Amino acid sequence: MDSSTTRQQAYDRGHTIFSPDGRLYQVEYAREAVERGSPSVGVVTDTGVVLAARKRLRSPLLESKSVEKIHRVDDHVAVATAGHAADARQLVETARKRCQRHRLRYAEPIPTETLAEAIADHIQEQTQAGGTRPYGAALLVAGVDAGRGRERKRRKESESGSGSGSGSNAAGQHPQPALYEVDPGGTHYGWRATAIGNGTADIRSFLEGRLADSDAEAGVGEDGLPLALESLAAGTSETETDTDTELSPETVDALVLTPDTVADRAGAVGEEELADGLGELE
Amino acid sequence: MDQTDSTEYIETGTTTVGLAGADGVVLAADRRASLGGRFVTNRTAQKVVPVGDHTALTFAGSVGEAQSFVRQLRAERSRYEHATDRSPSVETTATVAGDLLRSGPYQHLELVLGGTFPEPAVYQVGPGGGVMDTPYAASGSGMQLAYGRLEDAYEPDHSVDTLRGLATTAIRNATERDTASGDGMTVATLTVDEDGGGDEHDHEREFEQFEQFESIDAAVTTTTNRAGGESDTDAEPGVAT
Repeated sequence: MDSSTTRQQAYDRGHTIFSPDGRLYQVEYAREAVERGSPSVGVVTDTGVVLAARKRLRSPLLESKSVEKIHRVDDHVAVATAGHAADARQLVETARKRCQRHRLRYAEPIPTETLAEAIADHIQEQTQAGGTRPYGAALLVAGVDAGRGRERKRRKESESGSGSGSGSNAAGQHPQPALYEVDPGGTHYGWRATAIGNGTADIRSFLEGRLADSDAEAGVGEDGLPLALESLAAGTSETETDTDTELSPETVDALVLTPDTVADRAGAVGEEELADGLGELE
Repeated sequence: MDQTDSTEYIETGTTTVGLAGADGVVLAADRRASLGGRFVTNRTAQKVVPVGDHTALTFAGSVGEAQSFVRQLRAERSRYEHATDRSPSVETTATVAGDLLRSGPYQHLELVLGGTFPEPAVYQVGPGGGVMDTPYAASGSGMQLAYGRLEDAYEPDHSVDTLRGLATTAIRNATERDTASGDGMTVATLTVDEDGGGDEHDHEREFEQFEQFESIDAAVTTTTNRAGGESDTDAEPGVAT
């Protein structure tokens, strides 16, 4: 073992230690763990957010329903995961507690960004505290917020710029969909559409091709499920470890959050609807 | 209202009211601070204070506790604003206030909390931390007298101009017979911003008015005259002098 290898291993062991070029190897390995996980995608639509995820069924005997990729954490928020499933579940539990704490303290649902930030803070602590390792999972945090306060005002301003002066006053509560990615380093980013996990680069470039061009604002429309499924298909062709690479209702999890499904606590896409959606991809 | 076991304990016999109307909220209180309601220690105490944009409260109880409580509540609101990048609603503020009263070191504070975001609302927050949504409320040693006036004349679709007259006459009626209430009056008027919440803080501030009156009569005259000018045919219910 030469001296450079020994030194490298030292940086490997404690994630709290920087390498000489300023990297945290353990955090990068955690990102690698996410890259190996089956992918999840999220798409913001005009009225809500769609999450879709690929489930990895390593045996035909495995019960598909027991593989959970998308978790409801509150009425108006859901989380899609990629990476170590056990780590992801701990983060989901943290998220659920955080949601309820906000409701108890402030008598209202937590804003999606506030939740994403809180989860990111929690993840960051594990990259700095002694005796812990980073979470080997990334999350897509999707939510439909009540849409008021400063966000509401900003929209009012843009509306009044293009048309009538006074809109509806008090309680003009336009629901506001939001999508955030939270990674093992403990950062959160807002997206209009993105993916985590295996094949992210392909999925993201597919979504960019569809949405980043000229009339991007009107790109998705109300129904984001077809786009979400299509993007998932765009990224799953090269997953070598999968025994079954084809998308089917068995291997796909999807959830649609809109003001309606928030109110009904519904939104999980059923097998039939999934079969229809996937059939249209052909 | 009688807890004078501690020598530092200053009990403010007081009358405060809060009313929610169609276009805003009115909070009012007298300005007398007293020791056990028997000796007037201050004639210009301010018992109606802003706790943030669109929101204010009245307090009855120990002045020291109230000041400390208001500082704490403002801090909690500020933390919420920074964490969520938006303004807390009246309900959120009332919920936080209730929890603070319940779990904090406060012995006896009665609050009437009102605001206009996202719509006009008044909450009654009791010393035990109870939080109750209500169209109008009174608190303090003169509250029975004030309630008599409010029960008689309050209507939920009144404008703040009308409610200001009702609030001041309710306080006036209480000060006539409650020895622990009196001297001047503070009247806070929080009006809904018709543009749906202005874009600048300065702009919003115009919709929050805190008026100080040296005498009860001045408060009643000013607020009822203004209401009369706006809608004289309404036979404004609070113009008795």
